[in-house]
Amino acid sequence: MAGSAPEGSQFDARQYDAKMNELLGTDGQDFFTSYDEVCESFDAMGLQENLLRGIYAYGFEKPSAIQQRGIVPFCKGLDVIQQAQSGTGKTATFCSGVLQQLDYSLVECQALVLAPTRELAQQIEKVMRALGDYLGVKVHVCVGGTIVREDQRILSSGVHVVVGTPGRVFDMLCRQSLRPDNIRMFVLDEADEMLSRGFKDQIYDIFQLLPPKIQVGVFSATMPPEALEITRKFMNKPVRILVKRDELTLEGIKQFFVNVDKEDWKLETLCDLYETLAITQSVIFVNTRRKVDWLTDKMRSRDHTVSATHGDMDQNTRDIIMREFRSGSSRVLITTDLLARGIDVQQVSLVINYDLPTQPENYLHRIGRSGRFGRKGVAINFVTGDDERMLFDIQKFYNVQIEELPANVADLI
Amino acid sequence: MRPILMKGHERPLTFLKYNRDGDLLFSCAKDHNPTVWFADNGERLGTYRGHNGAVWCCDVSRDSGRLITGSADQTAKLWNVQTGQQLFTFNFDSPARSVDFAVGDKLAVITTDPFMELPSAIHVKRIANDPAEQTGESVLLIKGPQGRINRAIWGPLNRTIISAGEDAVIRIWDSETGKLLKESDKESGHKKTVTSLAKSADGSHFLTGSLDKSARLWDTRTLTLIKTYVTERPVNAVAMSPLLDHVVLGGGQDASAVTTTDHRAGKFEAKFYDKILQEEIGGVKGHFGPINALAFNPDGKSFSSGGEDGYVRLHHFDPDYFNIKI
Repeated sequence: MAGSAPEGSQFDARQYDAKMNELLGTDGQDFFTSYDEVCESFDAMGLQENLLRGIYAYGFEKPSAIQQRGIVPFCKGLDVIQQAQSGTGKTATFCSGVLQQLDYSLVECQALVLAPTRELAQQIEKVMRALGDYLGVKVHVCVGGTIVREDQRILSSGVHVVVGTPGRVFDMLCRQSLRPDNIRMFVLDEADEMLSRGFKDQIYDIFQLLPPKIQVGVFSATMPPEALEITRKFMNKPVRILVKRDELTLEGIKQFFVNVDKEDWKLETLCDLYETLAITQSVIFVNTRRKVDWLTDKMRSRDHTVSATHGDMDQNTRDIIMREFRSGSSRVLITTDLLARGIDVQQVSLVINYDLPTQPENYLHRIGRSGRFGRKGVAINFVTGDDERMLFDIQKFYNVQIEELPANVADLI
Repeated sequence: MRPILMKGHERPLTFLKYNRDGDLLFSCAKDHNPTVWFADNGERLGTYRGHNGAVWCCDVSRDSGRLITGSADQTAKLWNVQTGQQLFTFNFDSPARSVDFAVGDKLAVITTDPFMELPSAIHVKRIANDPAEQTGESVLLIKGPQGRINRAIWGPLNRTIISAGEDAVIRIWDSETGKLLKESDKESGHKKTVTSLAKSADGSHFLTGSLDKSARLWDTRTLTLIKTYVTERPVNAVAMSPLLDHVVLGGGQDASAVTTTDHRAGKFEAKFYDKILQEEIGGVKGHFGPINALAFNPDGKSFSSGGEDGYVRLHHFDPDYFNIKI
């Protein structure tokens, strides 16, 4: 990674805090709107009756902390920056906010939700559709890897909400298949990823095509100062809900490390753990697509059943693999950071970082695949001699304790 | 005992019910599709598709021919157990929460949640032998107390209905007139939401679980408190052994707090207590989310638990269990 900061310094707590204080300090006061209302029940939020029906039908009974604070300001048309720990209800927050404000008699795209991956866009669409069922919402998921003509046909027949990935959405806007004239809400999920180097230009290009007066909502479990800085450029006095750096980690996830000493010995360690992996749903993260393929081949050659997915695979295959994994037909999934964010599979209780992540935020997102709303989880980090510094930095930065993996790992799950 | 892990639900479990013969186990979850399993080996037999919302509760007729389910999609549905065919849909104006067939299966009690201005309610419906003759007409409607009525069951001889819910009060209603006959005493009763209720095999007493971290045993006729079982976690589910004087409680901390508190704070084990001595006998670990449902097989030799983690766990007892001395 030529030009990037030296390894380990990404987890510089002092630098992070200094930047955050600068943004939120005296100067920052003018940029943000104060909003302190907390609604302890969905009924108290002033939501439409049919949206309430959808929320209760989904199985919600009481709003989570982020929902108590976050749904109402979004419903009032305010720009919002909302950060909350992984798996604590952010998707339902912005879905409710969007659904509350749509004009259902106007079958034109009124809200645009962008997510970094196709899997995540599909997941958001599913929640949006479920919550909006009684409202008759029309949601279209607009992602790459699908037939362009099909997207064009659906968009021209009219939808209320488009949930998509930046590339395909931009393409549809350019082709005039998706008309921005009535878009009044713009949501960025996993916003810090969307505003990072990889996506920022695409987001900027899309934003340029949207109407000037638009409500913007940005959501993520991680909101580093760099991302927060960028929001100044296109948000109008947003209501902010932020979590301190050292409160971001999920205490409900037991975090361990295994000192494998050398890279070559990670595979043996993984095979030793396989019996345990197969008891429940597990996700194994590696850092490159090539390595996903390599590790998958190695595991299968040792007669271990695994599934794998990464960005280079064709969409149909990715969809099949996700469906099999969600339903429990397959139990061990090897992937890249493609699935580090947002993906919510009910029975995942173990995450293995075969490689430690290169981006600091992705550590939180990866382990957040196992500890989801109402479920504890376990995360195991494979550490070589070269990784020890990074592991130490992660512990310090997120104020978390990562212990050595005990022998009785099966008892933890 | 090594549990059988039943995978099939993609969202949290809400309720478990064995049929009378104990060979079938019915599970309900937030994923819309109640499922039926072979109770011996945990194999999935089928699913019941038709609901459009979380399914909160179910009951099965004595002959295992009919299933009734209550759902957050504001309906309760009757199903043919064997074919999975929908026989009838009862429509309400708010989520349906609890369902229970009367003895003889000619009546069913269904509770609905409060919704905006609507109060919670207890509905009694007549169940026709011939599905073609089924109607949605209510035999009785009782406008409810404050908050959700999490559970309502028939009392002895179908003369009464016992209800419990968010206001922590247990009530006995006359099932013909709808008149309130008895209320649990505030002083000795539960202090917080009653989440669950389980009847003894002979119906003479019942057990309630509450977020106040206790379960209490009540006389069905007099609503006298008989026993209290104190735990250190909110109780979401309760069950009673039909063979031994054991009760089992399941729960754990509130689902919304699970991910952000220390990993030791979950307390997701199913806890066994001696019904008479009120002492804890032991616990069964396994779930990684709160337990939301518990049920004993009518033969008393196995039990099942369902959790927020989406798993149903089926446990066949070891022989040692039947020789526990305190």
